[in-house]
Amino acid sequence: MSVVFDGSPLKAMQSSHSHTAPAALSAQELSQEIKSFISGVDAVQGRKLGVREHARCAVRLLRSVPACRGAVLEHLRGVYDEHVSTFLHNLETEGNASSGSTSNLEDIIQEVHGVLSEFIRLNPRAWAPLVSTWAVDLLGQLSSKHAGRRVAPHSSSLNELLQLWMSCAATRSLMEAYSQCLAAMLAWCPDACVDALLDTSVKHSPHFDWVVAHIGSAFPGTIISRVLACGLKDFCSHGAKDQGPLVEKGNRVPKIGSVVGILGHLAAHHSDSIRKELLRMFQESLAPSTPLSPSSSSTSWEASPQLRRAAVPFLLQLAAMSPNLFGAVSSELVELLRPAVLLQLQALLQGLPREELDNMLGLAVHLISQSPTGGARVLRFLADTATPASVIISGPTPSPHEGVREGCDRLLQMLLLHLHKLVFNRSEGSEVSPFCSTSSQPQRVIPFLEELRSHVAPLCAETLRLERKRHLWLHQLLCLLSVYGGPSVATETLCQLLTQARNPEELALAWQLHATLSSCMAGLVPAAVTHCVAQIHTHTLGRRQLRQLLLNLAAVLQSQDEEKKAAAAGAQSSMAAQIGSAVSVHLHDFGPLLLHGDPAVSHAAVRLLSCSPLPRTASPAHLLLLSRAAVTHFFLALRRRGEAGKAGQDAGQSGEAVSCSVLLLTRFAAYSALTLKAILQQLVEGALHKGNAELFGGQIADMSGAPVASPSVSPDLGASLLDINCRFGTTVNFSGSVWSVFHAGVIGKGLKARTAANLLDPSEVIQNIQTLLAVIVQCCSSSSLNGSQSPSDPEEPPPINAEAAKIVAVTLVENVCPDVANGELPWPPEEHARTTVERDIHIRRCFEAHPVLFHLLQVVAAGRPALCYCSAVLRGLLATLLSHWEGSREASSTDSPWHLQASCLLVSCMGEGQLLPPVLANVHEAFAHLTPFEVRLLLLAVWEYVRGNGPLPQKFVFSSDKGMFCRDFSRDGDVSRYVAPIHSVLHKNIDRLGHLCWRFQL
Amino acid sequence: MGDIRQSLLPRDVLSAAKELLYHLDIYICNMVQSGRQPPQVDSKTLDLIEEFILHTPKDRNTPVRRMSALQELQLLEIMCSCFQEQSRDTVRQLMFSALFNLQGNQADESRMALLSKLVSMAVAVGRVPILECAATWLQRTHCLYCVRLAQVLVDDYCSMVPGSGPTLHNIHSASPRFCCQFIAAVTTLYDLTSEELTPPMELLQMIVSWIQDDPRLVLITFLNSPLSGSQPISSLDVTPLGGLIRWCIKAPLAYRRNKKQANDGSSDGELDAARLFSALHLSVLQVFMLLPNILNEKGLFGRLALLQMESVAALTSDLSRLLDQADKHTHAATSDTHAAPQLALDRLAQALQVAMASGALLCSREDLRAICSRLPHNNLLQLVLSGPVMYYNNIHTPPLAYSPHAAHSPIPAHPTLPPHTPHTPLAAHPAPHAQYPAQPFMTGMPFPFRPGH
Repeated sequence: MSVVFDGSPLKAMQSSHSHTAPAALSAQELSQEIKSFISGVDAVQGRKLGVREHARCAVRLLRSVPACRGAVLEHLRGVYDEHVSTFLHNLETEGNASSGSTSNLEDIIQEVHGVLSEFIRLNPRAWAPLVSTWAVDLLGQLSSKHAGRRVAPHSSSLNELLQLWMSCAATRSLMEAYSQCLAAMLAWCPDACVDALLDTSVKHSPHFDWVVAHIGSAFPGTIISRVLACGLKDFCSHGAKDQGPLVEKGNRVPKIGSVVGILGHLAAHHSDSIRKELLRMFQESLAPSTPLSPSSSSTSWEASPQLRRAAVPFLLQLAAMSPNLFGAVSSELVELLRPAVLLQLQALLQGLPREELDNMLGLAVHLISQSPTGGARVLRFLADTATPASVIISGPTPSPHEGVREGCDRLLQMLLLHLHKLVFNRSEGSEVSPFCSTSSQPQRVIPFLEELRSHVAPLCAETLRLERKRHLWLHQLLCLLSVYGGPSVATETLCQLLTQARNPEELALAWQLHATLSSCMAGLVPAAVTHCVAQIHTHTLGRRQLRQLLLNLAAVLQSQDEEKKAAAAGAQSSMAAQIGSAVSVHLHDFGPLLLHGDPAVSHAAVRLLSCSPLPRTASPAHLLLLSRAAVTHFFLALRRRGEAGKAGQDAGQSGEAVSCSVLLLTRFAAYSALTLKAILQQLVEGALHKGNAELFGGQIADMSGAPVASPSVSPDLGASLLDINCRFGTTVNFSGSVWSVFHAGVIGKGLKARTAANLLDPSEVIQNIQTLLAVIVQCCSSSSLNGSQSPSDPEEPPPINAEAAKIVAVTLVENVCPDVANGELPWPPEEHARTTVERDIHIRRCFEAHPVLFHLLQVVAAGRPALCYCSAVLRGLLATLLSHWEGSREASSTDSPWHLQASCLLVSCMGEGQLLPPVLANVHEAFAHLTPFEVRLLLLAVWEYVRGNGPLPQKFVFSSDKGMFCRDFSRDGDVSRYVAPIHSVLHKNIDRLGHLCWRFQL
Repeated sequence: MGDIRQSLLPRDVLSAAKELLYHLDIYICNMVQSGRQPPQVDSKTLDLIEEFILHTPKDRNTPVRRMSALQELQLLEIMCSCFQEQSRDTVRQLMFSALFNLQGNQADESRMALLSKLVSMAVAVGRVPILECAATWLQRTHCLYCVRLAQVLVDDYCSMVPGSGPTLHNIHSASPRFCCQFIAAVTTLYDLTSEELTPPMELLQMIVSWIQDDPRLVLITFLNSPLSGSQPISSLDVTPLGGLIRWCIKAPLAYRRNKKQANDGSSDGELDAARLFSALHLSVLQVFMLLPNILNEKGLFGRLALLQMESVAALTSDLSRLLDQADKHTHAATSDTHAAPQLALDRLAQALQVAMASGALLCSREDLRAICSRLPHNNLLQLVLSGPVMYYNNIHTPPLAYSPHAAHSPIPAHPTLPPHTPHTPLAAHPAPHAQYPAQPFMTGMPFPFRPGH
């Protein structure tokens, strides 16, 4: 109304009157128009109106008679429909009837569109709701009515559909009108038009999608937020009443269904804004209400506290219905839940009734359990929040955080309960144990657990931190996870726990897990141990982990022993027993770990092996390997003990390692004859080995009399066997070549240089020797060979087994005297010793280099008649001693101390081994008081006796009352003739040897 | 009449309605001819109307029948001609009542919808008989429903269809009674309490021009109605005077508030509105001035209060609340912000004075003082409240210095003339002052200050 004011408002009004009056029809004309419109016949001329004229008439009425509005719009629906039909028909006939009527109607549609858009422009408040509802409804009707047409693409191909409809004038015009309405209404009541959109979308669901898509992509931000707001309102008005977690899927609240549909639709291109919008909704609903907030219009949902309260349940519901939307939000939602937000959330939810809260909780739990990603984060968040911050805080007055914490606590517990139900109801009705359940039975997938499967290790680590409540939850979760994931996960979990636990409390979690799982899973422990072994083999465990694993296993086994003592049989002991048997199966896999480079690991390994039960059956190869490893470890442990002692460190651990090693060897030796033999052999060999000799005070290549060469000028003799061998013809002629090597050095080059031996502390040597002897003695005495007779007196050590002693003896001989010539047991006459001078010297040097040999001999002697097998060694040693004493020009035997000691030890050993009768065996007591020649005399007597009464094992008989073999000397020849020289010597030195006379009485 | 139901049931919606209208016509004609008293349509017929014209489901078994908008338009068209062609007023009136009198049941909603469309259409195509019937309907019906009808008309003609305002404007010539009732309904509807309840400009212009053209228009219902005084409870006032006064008095404050909310420079529209209300105020005062003669003719002077005391009380309390709000919202008082409240108070004082003088408001000054006690100070109002005898009656005399006019001339020369010309429109129209009736005080007025008259 363009009006020029000329002073008076009245005039202005009147002028406006006259201005518009000519355009308006008179009442009479209007009446005629209405009649024409109703009848479709021109009231004046009486002829039928064409579609266009009729439509024009309608438009005129729309402009002038408000009461006809509804009827006119209804009539126009027909016009639009007609146009669409024609349009589609033309398309179908491929335009051979070239669009005669279409163009006719198109201008009408243009006209109608012009009028409507003018109305909307002039008075959006009145017209936009009306037209938008009409347009949307008509669009819905048209699209579903013509959906079946041949040219209409399938409703799933959205783009083609969009193209088709937007090329049609009628639908395009409607779409434009609706867009205009929407643009106009967004300012003040966007909900109304979106409401209509939603309703229509529900009604004409698949065919109407293109409209929603178009509108949505035209107004992405608005449509998304409005669709959400609409859904929220609808949800608030009837959803809240009977909202159950999953009860009302679509039938109760139709709008939320279409909200989900539309958002799912837009998610293809606008997923980011959808996510933002959802999160914004969440945040806004929590933000403290600001009634004067300038950003939100008065109609928006943020203003209503009721709607704000409903927002969170609504979002939950939405998420429950659309995995897409949930997936979009869930990842970032957790990030949002800062303490402040949580407080707000709590404040918001406090107002809700109890059962609604329960419903929400159920929904949330359901969502979490169905969430395919981010489960670990959610879990960590829940656990973090639900864990009490500290004991002090939970005082008498609960802080505001306490409520949040309790909420989370409850949520977590519900989640666990829910998962529990899910997990245990999965394979309901079939008694198939998880181990043999085949894949033929479809099992429900629980995405939450599915995802956590890959997080077992961190979960275990978290659990093992043993934080107040957290570890209980996590432990429960681990149980569920194990049941859910089946044997593989269960094994993995148990394995992790075994690897990561650091103390008995933590290890107890493994028991608990096993106790829970053992009911539904058989063979868990062996599988877990196998898994651990596999990890060891693949070197996936670090040193610390490896060590921890071994220690934990050992602790389990030890606890089993304790349990046995306490006679308390329970799940724990049963698990310990299972672990024991499982470990015993894999014993050979643990064996190599004894020699692990890290002392801690090898220590742990020995501890484990020392307490592990031994397998019922084992292949000899494994046994030999194990025994070799065990023996090697034993020497290693000795060495480490020495080093630790030298470095002044706490020797406790290395000492314990040694004792464990001793225990292991003992038990292992007792296992079978094979292991006993192997161990004893290796022990002896090891003790005599070059590398280990120094442990026992041995000195390698110690040439008496040679000066110690300074290490800096170690002389290069320039002698290379290789060079000489390469020289042709040299192999025949030895003289003057390197071949003429004597034990003291290369002839012509002087004595061999002495190597500077780093000598050990004597006390240490003694300790080492003690240990070695203890091992050997224990091995010999506890062997299964004499297992039939248990020692009557536990105080008295069991006698050394003869067989074992024989093994020691044989090994010893092989090592000391590799030359087997003249190796027979009976002794030749003393003169024959000249034929074996070199061998005898070698033997003597062995004894010089390895003081431990005497101790070994003593052990052998104790295990009668084993000493007989050492006959060659004894003979060699005695021969060298004889020649020494013969050549000695000293005044007293004490002037050559080593020989004196060797003589004494030799004789006493032979006496112990009953190679000599007691009378002869006692002669060594007198040695120290005699001259070298007299010593030689006595030793000669010994030789003579042994020559006369050969050291043969068959002379020994087993005496059952002593439990050992004994030799009855009375069956041998007369001793007295061998005693005569003794008596002569006694007589000669009666002044000094008087006190010994009684020792030589026959 | 009830027996035709069976024959109507199988028909389609529209023809059933048509047939029922036809039968109703005959039935009422017969009733009027038979002279049955009172001419009342029986309940069976009303049921039929509800079932076949208003399409209210009678019971759960019968499916709801709905008319399409086109059918409805046809029905309206038929009704229009039906009422148009019926020559006897009584029959027409009875038929209208039968169709549209509210029954207090669930059919009332569709009844109201149909009525609104019918009246709107009647306005468009100028069906006077229908408008007359609607005027009667507006007189008898609860004001809430009247307001709804008015709302539909205002929506249709003032906002929805651009350029259709003149059509509505014509009703004052077509049916003054309807026009008068329409004004009453509109003033009740738009009470200026919020932006939505502020009359559209077009409507305001229309009403001002109506009253300016013919001040008696607002009294037409009063003049034509019998003197029984048996007004239905909560119906519209007999005259729209109360509503119009309210508009005039509250307008300065309400429009200022709206402007502040809109917060744009629409001063043109505001100026327009101010002028229109000013003119309206003058017209209303002029209508008051017509009253004494009419009342005297009817012998009702001093016996019938056209302006109810309660409505005045409500108005003053509203006003005081508005003024309080205005005070709170504008601390930085400019001359402009000060002017609006004073204008409102001036108009109140003028209206009270003229209403009392013309016998439209029957109350004592003590009553008025009680009502106006909470209003802020205004010279004119003070003057009106204290009355000409305040100089003698010193109980309620304010301090002398309070009003210099009162101090200098305790008895105003002409109490109806304000000492100031409060606003420009009055100054712009000096002529009407001369036309004021020379006898402002009537005999029988309970005013003690002219004992000699």
